[in-house]
Amino acid sequence: MRELEVNGTKIANEGPPGTTLLAVLRAAGLTGTKEACGRGECGACTVLVGGEPMMSCLVLAMLVRKPVTTIEGLDADDLRGAFADAGAFQCGFCTPGQLVRAEALLRRRAGDTGDTGDDADHAAGEPDEIGALDEATVRHELSGNVCRCTGYAQIVDAVLRTAERRGLAVRDEPAGRAASVPLPRPTAARAPERAQQ
Amino acid sequence: MTSVGARVRSLHWDEVTSGRERYAADNPPPGTLVGKILRSPWPFAIVERIAVDRARGLPGVRAVITASDFAPGMRYLHHGGPLADRPPLADGLVRFVGQEVAAVAAESVEAVEGAIAAIEVDYRPIRHAPLDIDAARRATAARLHDRPTGEANVAVHDAGFWGDVTGGRAAGTITAEGTFWYPRVNHACMEPNTTLAWWHPDTEQLELWTSTQAPWFITTEVAHVLGLRAEQVVCRDVAVGGGFGSKSKVSEHEAIAAALSRASGAPVLVAFSRDEEFAATKPRHAFRTHLRIHADDAGRLRMFDAGIDVDNGAYNHYGPSVMKVGIKTLGSIYGPDGVEWDARLIDTALPPGGQFRGYGSPQVALALESLIDELAERQGIDPIEYRIRNANPPGSTTLCGARLGSARLVECLEAVRDAIDWADKRANRRAYRGVGVAAGMHGSGSYAFPDANRSEATIDVLADGRVRVRFGGADAGTGQRTILAQVAADELGVTAADVDVLMGDSELAPFDMGAWSSRGTHMGGHAVRKAASELGARLRQLAAEKLGEIPDAIQLRAGRAEAPGSGGSASEAIELGDLVGASADAVDGCLSHTAAYVDDRMELFGADNPTPNVAASYTFAAHAVEVEVDPGTGQVRVLDYVAAHDVGRAINPTMVEGQIIGGVVQGLGAALGEELIYEGGRAVNPAYVDYALPRAADLPRIRPILVEGPEPAGPHGAKSVGEMPIVPPAPALVNAIYDAIGIRFRELPITPDKVLAALQATGDRPGSARSHRLWRRPDRWQIAAARWLYPRGLHTVLHRWGTRLARQPGSGPIQSIGAPTDRDDLVRQLAAATGRRAGRGTAAVIGGGTDLLAQRRQGLATPVRLLSVAEVDELKKIERRPDGSVSIGAAVTLARIERELEGDVPVLAETVRTIASAQIRAQATLAGNLAQAKRCWFFRNGFDCYKRGGVTCPCYAVLGDHRFHHAALGAHRCQAVTPSDLATTLVALDAEVAVASTAGERIVPAARLYRGPGETALRPGELIAAVVVDRSARARRAVFEKLALWSGDFALVAIAASAELDVAGRARDVRLVVGGLAPTPWRARAAEAALERRASVEAAVGALTQELDRTAHPLPGNAWKLDATVGLARRALIRLVQGPDA
Repeated sequence: MRELEVNGTKIANEGPPGTTLLAVLRAAGLTGTKEACGRGECGACTVLVGGEPMMSCLVLAMLVRKPVTTIEGLDADDLRGAFADAGAFQCGFCTPGQLVRAEALLRRRAGDTGDTGDDADHAAGEPDEIGALDEATVRHELSGNVCRCTGYAQIVDAVLRTAERRGLAVRDEPAGRAASVPLPRPTAARAPERAQQ
Repeated sequence: MTSVGARVRSLHWDEVTSGRERYAADNPPPGTLVGKILRSPWPFAIVERIAVDRARGLPGVRAVITASDFAPGMRYLHHGGPLADRPPLADGLVRFVGQEVAAVAAESVEAVEGAIAAIEVDYRPIRHAPLDIDAARRATAARLHDRPTGEANVAVHDAGFWGDVTGGRAAGTITAEGTFWYPRVNHACMEPNTTLAWWHPDTEQLELWTSTQAPWFITTEVAHVLGLRAEQVVCRDVAVGGGFGSKSKVSEHEAIAAALSRASGAPVLVAFSRDEEFAATKPRHAFRTHLRIHADDAGRLRMFDAGIDVDNGAYNHYGPSVMKVGIKTLGSIYGPDGVEWDARLIDTALPPGGQFRGYGSPQVALALESLIDELAERQGIDPIEYRIRNANPPGSTTLCGARLGSARLVECLEAVRDAIDWADKRANRRAYRGVGVAAGMHGSGSYAFPDANRSEATIDVLADGRVRVRFGGADAGTGQRTILAQVAADELGVTAADVDVLMGDSELAPFDMGAWSSRGTHMGGHAVRKAASELGARLRQLAAEKLGEIPDAIQLRAGRAEAPGSGGSASEAIELGDLVGASADAVDGCLSHTAAYVDDRMELFGADNPTPNVAASYTFAAHAVEVEVDPGTGQVRVLDYVAAHDVGRAINPTMVEGQIIGGVVQGLGAALGEELIYEGGRAVNPAYVDYALPRAADLPRIRPILVEGPEPAGPHGAKSVGEMPIVPPAPALVNAIYDAIGIRFRELPITPDKVLAALQATGDRPGSARSHRLWRRPDRWQIAAARWLYPRGLHTVLHRWGTRLARQPGSGPIQSIGAPTDRDDLVRQLAAATGRRAGRGTAAVIGGGTDLLAQRRQGLATPVRLLSVAEVDELKKIERRPDGSVSIGAAVTLARIERELEGDVPVLAETVRTIASAQIRAQATLAGNLAQAKRCWFFRNGFDCYKRGGVTCPCYAVLGDHRFHHAALGAHRCQAVTPSDLATTLVALDAEVAVASTAGERIVPAARLYRGPGETALRPGELIAAVVVDRSARARRAVFEKLALWSGDFALVAIAASAELDVAGRARDVRLVVGGLAPTPWRARAAEAALERRASVEAAVGALTQELDRTAHPLPGNAWKLDATVGLARRALIRLVQGPDA
């Protein structure tokens, strides 16, 4: 049996080796994390592991070494309020996953990369993306979280408004002209890159 | 009046956003058993024997039920009368793959799965099962039911007319006609169908916590099927994770959960898997609508002639009324002289269709709104003007009997005309861009059942001044709970946040039939308004007595009853809670009042009234959309979308807008990508990854426009809004695509394959009538011969007999997970675990687990001993070496590649951004991405195919749907492709893969990593240690382009290109690699050479086209991928050659 640190407290993983993090969380009464597909295709079970958003249905609890944050311990009251004001949920089933995913994005934009360990030597404490947060970026980053009710617009609004209130740079696009299919490409990605000789 | 009309927060916002909101599967009582359903593997078969004794005897198994646990001949009520035909569990016959045959309740998931596997069922398949509506009508087709129509497999035949059909036809001087196909689409609610059932033997009461829109229907059906009285069954208030109509009636698992609870004496939780949700629930009915419309020279619609074939599926359910509503669509929004129809509800051995938002209307509106557009063009009239000219005016009665009150269709059309800049966009054309419009109408509530025009509500005022509404419906996400609170709040002078709303629970709440047919706001709003208003009168009476005023002078405000001129001092105002205490009628500190609302405007359909006014008010909408079509890939991109809705008065504008945006996105999903696909009656794509519903990045911001105005029939003037927005999107899109490229699509969804094929057919692009000269390619003869034989008996033989020899996955629970910290240690453990004595396939390396764990759920992966790379620091390193090369450790996540290699190898970051989701990128590793198994949907979704079951099994892609994720070049017996996008890019970078084993390290060029689709050249005991991109490759310019059905999907086609470009524009070391086209990443060497010879994109594209002609061997449905390859390669090469500003 191993212990997991979830929302700052220890919880036991008493299941067999194949037990997923999602199953451990739900058995511990943390039922805000939802199972909607069990195959990592919808985002409803998103939690933070060491600050990184992950699909807890595809994480083996035995392999989790870093602290886990679920919706119950997210500490993002402003974002929750923004969701409520924007009408960013209807049935609410995907909402915990949306909130956790969005909060991870906002924290990373603010330069808080969490205790990710792996890349702690890289860019820790630095915003790793340059430029203002815009609708296309939010839509791209949230595309792993399926919502069948809202059509996403109000979710995107809530995230952008929260970013603004937290003092992050936000770029508003003209109404009805949100980028869709093409991915946002940071300028650097498009430049022909010569290797550092 | 402050709440109504305000953007009030959802009543449960705090619970929902904190994760505390309770859904049916959350925190079941201790001792709750797991329930699971055994489903039919056959589309049509006789069930000769079911043996459950072995399953019953297994440890942990508490109940096993079959049809014999229900009364003989038991059928769900569904639409009632002679149409009821579906048993709770199969009794003698199964009529679709997925039909419920038996069910088990056990103490654990493992025990329940073991018991399901232990139930023995002997099926005798019936030949010629009707697997689509055409097959069902053939003379040889087996009949699924004996139907009163006398026609083979026709459940209901409805022919009739309204108005003056002869005069209408005679008056027409121009006609337009066509046949339109709207496929089966799934609701894909985020919460799978879930029921917690708890039978209490002592009180003989059944408690249900179930994901439903209509508790009344669940109690009624469950009581009927279990032989109980309705008052013995109660649905407790619980949150519902989406419905969209699917949960507006029984969903055929509630009674099974209840029967299992009764049999086991314990609470039982039945929660569908996502596969079950896609494959076994009731989708939208597919419609084939043939429509001819006649108009006169003045641009007036005169007559509609319709022939409608509806795919009923295997049981009736509400198919008869869905077809009826489809027909009514023709007699609702416009006013021709007459409408005549001939409609058939056709039985097929597929999952039965069910109720879905829009209910028959989207299917028929596709035909109507497309043909009106065609007529408008031919008659030289603007399509918006054409609709304005023909719109039924307010106050009129439509052909189908709808008595319109307010009707603001014209205002809606004008609103979208302005908002999308219609005149400018129609006048100043841009290539491959177009705008389109469509309209719709929908009732608010429907008198579809006896008592459906009646709704009751109870209002409580408590001693602490809080207000509680008790209402028998359920809120599946429509916001009804909040709407009811707003209505009650205004009547009682409190805020919505002061109101609790208890829903469902027939023990506590009075009668309501639930949220379906757009009745939530209309019926519920009226019932609550009436009950609250009457209770308000009593409170004013009480206050008047206390304050010595007349009741009419008392105002309920801010939680108090106030006398006139009051400054708010205690002597002149009384708190509501204090009035409760003063009331002789209050019980236990609660003053309650129940009222019933009956809407007399609504008329019930019946023989004596064939054209009833079914609804009390009618809502209208007009949508306009701007699209761009990519002629290179066939992809349709929505640029802008405006949706104007005649909503009466918006009780909560934020929620109204949310319904509109969400409905439009669902409608666009069906128009652009969604479709349930079957092979042999079995669902091919029962997974989100295989079902192209819109993700956040797939569509732009939908812009709702509320056209408000009075509507006397509505509560506070409100009309319905939930169903209307899903009707216009498909025809609006079809019309916009026509405006862009001059091609009218009549079949949904409009996926890139169809667009590209249509563009080819019109000669807009170079033709693709390729012969591929197979007669000159002996290496392809064997495959060509096999493909020729497949439809001529080979498939049947392999499917029917070969699959009996299919190997079954030897899966079991994961037994151990090792997590060594040292690479050599990992390699040694792997060698031991995969050695000859350990048994083949029993051990595997796990990286992020994003494929391995998914494969376990798909019954594909068998390893029970896992070795994790997560703790091996050496495998997580990114090394920038002195020789200019970069080495990326196997366990580096995709997210780190995106973040950390942006500067070093930007094309890798660019590639990663297109892969899956942020979450998967944070988990998945480089090696895991490269080594992931093929994504063929037959292979992944349980078909016993050649790769899953072995050499005696068929490749289902040869005859099945292979348009998207199968090879058009170089395939052998398996038609799948290597799914890794990074593989495509790494081949273009001449990357080397370092492979480690106890024998040391060997280097495999990325181009030789694969020996088959998603099959690596790794030997047992070997693992990928790192991938190295050398300095010269990094010095090259490189680009990545991908065509996918949705943002993050696997590539239909991907292109990675790289080249060394000198200042003179000459290209050297060109690599042009195509992913998704062949079993392994494919280098277009002729195109590479052409670009090196002359740095001309068109020369390279020409060489590619010829090379594809010489080497491709597409399946009939995927030749379009060759054209998409050319189109995507052109885009990639332009970027490559011209640089970032191209």
